[in-house]
Amino acid sequence: MARIGEATAPALTSDALARGRSQAALVPDLLVEARRVVNTVIAGWHGRRKRGIGENFWQFRPYVEGEPVSRIDWRRSARDDHTYIRDREWEAAHTVWLWADNSPSMLFKSANALVSKESRALVMVLALTELLSRSGERIAWPGLTDPFNARDGAERLAAHLMHAPNRPARPDLNAVRRFSDVVLVGDFLDTVEETQAWLEVLAGRGVRAHLVEVADPVEENFPYAGRTEFRDPETGEKLTAGRAEMLRDDYAGLYRARREELARWATRLGWSYTVNHTDRPASEALVRVHLALSADAGLAERAHA
Amino acid sequence: MSWLALSFGQPLVLFGLAALPVIWWLLRATPPRPQDEIFPPLRILSRVLKREETPERSPWWLTLLRLLMAALVILALADPVVNPREKLPAKASALAVVMDNGWASAPDWDKRVATAARLIADAGDRSEPIILAFTAEKPNAEIGPFDAKTAEDRLRAAKPRPIPVDRASVYGRVAAAIHQFPGARLAILSDGLATKGDEAAFKAILNEDESGLVWAAPDSLTTLGLTVADNQPDAFAVTAVRAENDRGPRQATIGAFDTKGRRIADATLAFVTGASTATAKVPVPFELRNDFTSIAIDGQHQAGAVRVLDDSSRRRRVGLLSQADSNDLAQPLLSPLYYISRALRPFADLIEPKDQDLAKAIPELIDQKPAMIVMADIGTLPPSARQKLIGWLKDGGTLVRFAGPRLAAVTENDEELLPVPLRLGERSLGGALSWTKPQPVAKFPSIGPFSDLDAPQDVTVNRQVLAEPTPDLADHTWASLADGTPLVTGAKRGKGTLVLFHVTPEATWSNLPISGSFVEMLHRIASLSRNQGSITNGANETARSALPPYRMIAADGTLGPAAPDARPLERGKAAAPVTIENPPGLYGGEDGTIAHNLLGADAKLVPLERPATSLPVTEVAYALDRSRVLKGPFLLVALILMILDALAVLWLGGLFSRRPRPRKTGPASAAASLAALAIAGGLLMAASGHALADDSKPGDHAAIEAVSKTRIAYVVTGDKETDDVSRAGLLGLSRFLIEKTALEPGDPAGVNIAKDELSFYPLIYWPIDVKAAMPSEDAIARIDAYMKQGGTVLFDTRDQFTNGLDPNSVSPATERLRDILSNLNVPPLEPVPADHVLTKSFYILSEFPGRYDGGPLWVEASADTKSSADRPVRTGDGVSPILITGNDFAGAWAIDDNGNPMFPTVPDDPMQRIYAYRAGVNIMMYMLTGNYKSDQVHVPTLLERLGQ
Repeated sequence: MARIGEATAPALTSDALARGRSQAALVPDLLVEARRVVNTVIAGWHGRRKRGIGENFWQFRPYVEGEPVSRIDWRRSARDDHTYIRDREWEAAHTVWLWADNSPSMLFKSANALVSKESRALVMVLALTELLSRSGERIAWPGLTDPFNARDGAERLAAHLMHAPNRPARPDLNAVRRFSDVVLVGDFLDTVEETQAWLEVLAGRGVRAHLVEVADPVEENFPYAGRTEFRDPETGEKLTAGRAEMLRDDYAGLYRARREELARWATRLGWSYTVNHTDRPASEALVRVHLALSADAGLAERAHA
Repeated sequence: MSWLALSFGQPLVLFGLAALPVIWWLLRATPPRPQDEIFPPLRILSRVLKREETPERSPWWLTLLRLLMAALVILALADPVVNPREKLPAKASALAVVMDNGWASAPDWDKRVATAARLIADAGDRSEPIILAFTAEKPNAEIGPFDAKTAEDRLRAAKPRPIPVDRASVYGRVAAAIHQFPGARLAILSDGLATKGDEAAFKAILNEDESGLVWAAPDSLTTLGLTVADNQPDAFAVTAVRAENDRGPRQATIGAFDTKGRRIADATLAFVTGASTATAKVPVPFELRNDFTSIAIDGQHQAGAVRVLDDSSRRRRVGLLSQADSNDLAQPLLSPLYYISRALRPFADLIEPKDQDLAKAIPELIDQKPAMIVMADIGTLPPSARQKLIGWLKDGGTLVRFAGPRLAAVTENDEELLPVPLRLGERSLGGALSWTKPQPVAKFPSIGPFSDLDAPQDVTVNRQVLAEPTPDLADHTWASLADGTPLVTGAKRGKGTLVLFHVTPEATWSNLPISGSFVEMLHRIASLSRNQGSITNGANETARSALPPYRMIAADGTLGPAAPDARPLERGKAAAPVTIENPPGLYGGEDGTIAHNLLGADAKLVPLERPATSLPVTEVAYALDRSRVLKGPFLLVALILMILDALAVLWLGGLFSRRPRPRKTGPASAAASLAALAIAGGLLMAASGHALADDSKPGDHAAIEAVSKTRIAYVVTGDKETDDVSRAGLLGLSRFLIEKTALEPGDPAGVNIAKDELSFYPLIYWPIDVKAAMPSEDAIARIDAYMKQGGTVLFDTRDQFTNGLDPNSVSPATERLRDILSNLNVPPLEPVPADHVLTKSFYILSEFPGRYDGGPLWVEASADTKSSADRPVRTGDGVSPILITGNDFAGAWAIDDNGNPMFPTVPDDPMQRIYAYRAGVNIMMYMLTGNYKSDQVHVPTLLERLGQ
């Protein structure tokens, strides 16, 4: 009997990069809707809704004595008796932290799935990187890079990843500052309490996190039957079920309860929680994350207030 | 080692069962290998799994299954046998099986065969030659020695016979055969009944050089046999015999069956203790008793318990007496007894006295105790014979007398031997000097035996003897003539019956003896009679020819058709023995049979004793072989369990639930395509198998051509010139019609009025040609029918010009026309009136010229129709079936190939040809539309009413 699931080799980062870029090509440019763009001097594309240094028109206002004459917008001023100055919107860049789980459990790929979970996670991260880089956002990988801004952000991130094969199972999130966005891609199979514990630091800092759960369909459907021995790829622990089909309903209930609780917690924090199955295309999740990043999801006002 | 009728061929193997606990322990210790799966969310799963105990061992039922399997294999190896049978211990040089297959062996024949088959099988295992003999077979039947296979086949082919066994001869043959094998074992499978010559037979067969005797006899003799079936005056007595060692009280039921095997009576047969015979009486009316064909004891399926009855128990002996002259014998049809004997022979034994002298003849007849004596025209009897006859009559005999000249001449009335007093002389009905006519027979009166017979309609009586009219005459009259005079009278005399036919027994006085009623009446009288005792000595029976087998008693006691080796039964011999060539049963034919029964009246069923012998004797009982070797079934069950085990292992491994379900569309579409293929194939087969029925008939093509277009027909006269002109003329008219009207007729059709179907054509143009032969009657009849059915014939005499000026002169063509019309049903004719539809049906015409001008066109007269002034056309229904002209229409219409007219008109006027065409158009329109045009005159009125 063929096994249902198998452990795959870690995905090649270059391959993931190529696939990530192709996925990113399917998605429009992503401009992170930053509720609170950090007051950085680094020019970005996030309008601050106030006048300042930027490229886009913001308002005309009457010329006040003492201002440089060169700022007068003569074209507007010629239309009536007053003189006006064209104000531009203050635009700043936004920092998005990206992280993909690379624990052994992510190497699982079932017969129905298209790719392994790890591959899917990496592709999603690199695709997001590509998108964000195109938009001029600052991107960073916690514990690996500091925030940087580059047009070839995906390549640079991939290069960093290639040179850091042994990454810790949990990222060091202490470097994440306020008003950043964090995209965490993983399977979140730990207990909810554990996950909440290591994400608590983000919640405390007011960081907006986007959790993307990459799930294999087998983990959700539990199609096993008969006498089956289950092995945990991380711990090597084994469990033997006499008649695995008897466990299906109970297991599925627990599995979903974990996901729902985590999603509820994330929503409560104003975070987004996206589930991507590896038998579905990555672009589905990418679009959802794209939406979550770009839309204010009705929370912008609360954050402004 | 045997218990529960189960034994083992190799009981030592059963110690293998001791290993079962070890097997059990091994099986318990090794669970089936689980499927190995990587599963990342194991921590979630572990929370679920904690609640279920992980089975580390096989489920108990799987272990049980496997243990059972092992136990079954061990048991099967131990060679188990259920109901083991004993085997003959020692080896002998040969086995001689002598088997009784007589009538007493039939009920449990299967057991006997099984017993013999066991002996043969054992001998076959030891490869001993086998002698197999049956004691009721033909004396030349082969007895061997055979090998086991042949002996087995012969044993299976042997059948019990419904005849007694013949031990003496068969044992002698077996003894001769057994001499070749010193030390042979002899097996005697007897039926338990002793026969004559048993002692000598056993002495012959039991020899000192045989190694042993196997003796098989039935445990108890329950055989019953019917020995006597006697039709007594008051009841039917049946005597049965049983085996003499069967001494307890016993009851059996006997049933009596008619010719068709229906059970019509039964009785109980009770053996008292110690008695070996019992008699049962079947107290049923003698009419019913006469229908008995066979009697059988219920539950005894053997030939001895069945007794067939021939006609002797119900056939009446009928004595015939006449004072016939030698002259009568030379002319048998005038013999007074000829018709009587012909009528009675099928159902009665006829006795005729050897002596013509009545004084000797009558006692001779009465000695044979006949049921009925027929006396044909005997007037006076010798006193001694007369007294004897009266005594026989009063004891229950039936005397039937016929009248005749001699009886009529008797002056004094014989009260004892005549039912009614008679007048002297006979009465003649009809004849030269009589006003009366021969009298028919009246309806039979309700008294007497003929009451339910139909009176014969064709019987007339010319002469008869007359009864004295006494007050009780009507009570004695069994049949009478139409004038009320009695024809048959009857009276009781003591227990007997006296019947007088008032006519002669031959056809001189009446034709009653040659009618079917005569047979019926005699049959009725005969069935009233009863035999006056039975004849014990068969010496009187004349030697007759052998009787063919008719219905035989089979070995199981059923009546059936004769076996092929049954031979005709020689009569004449006093009592033919029952042999295989003369098996018991009925011999003869449908008219009469002789019973040939197995057991005689003095038969006894004596049990057969085992002969005293010095040989070692093994007694075996007749029993079916019930031993069954169970090795095969045990191994089969073990195999089934193994398959179950394999399925269970696969199921535990999750094979069935994990296998991906087949895509729905795949098999479904495959099945659909298969079904489509099958249907298509079936259609193909059906199409090829059932050719379309071809119902075409010769002439269909011509008929279809004739009706697919409107065609004008002309009569083919046989004269080519005339026919060509007719054809060309109709062609010209058709062209004109096509040109001017909506009618587009097809090519003209030439019809042969004698043969062709005429009803296809609306108009037939008939040029009268004197040169042509006169049409036949048939042809004219066809024309007549055609006209009656709505067709129209346009006769054209073409003689307008040649007629000359004399209005009374008649041209030959007109004469011919008159000849033709004389055979036709022609309505009154008139020249076309000015207001006839013909003048207006397409063109308005006042005359109808053809090639000639001036001749009238005759149509059916419409005299009864009114022509009113305000109507331009006279009304009237129908189309004239006949049109007659002399103007040679065809000549005017005829065109040649170029479309030019063939003949000039007379006078040569171009307009006349146009008018001729117009006349043709009008005629065609009249043919096709009928009186439609005359209805058009209503149009102004209709329009006015519509308010236009």
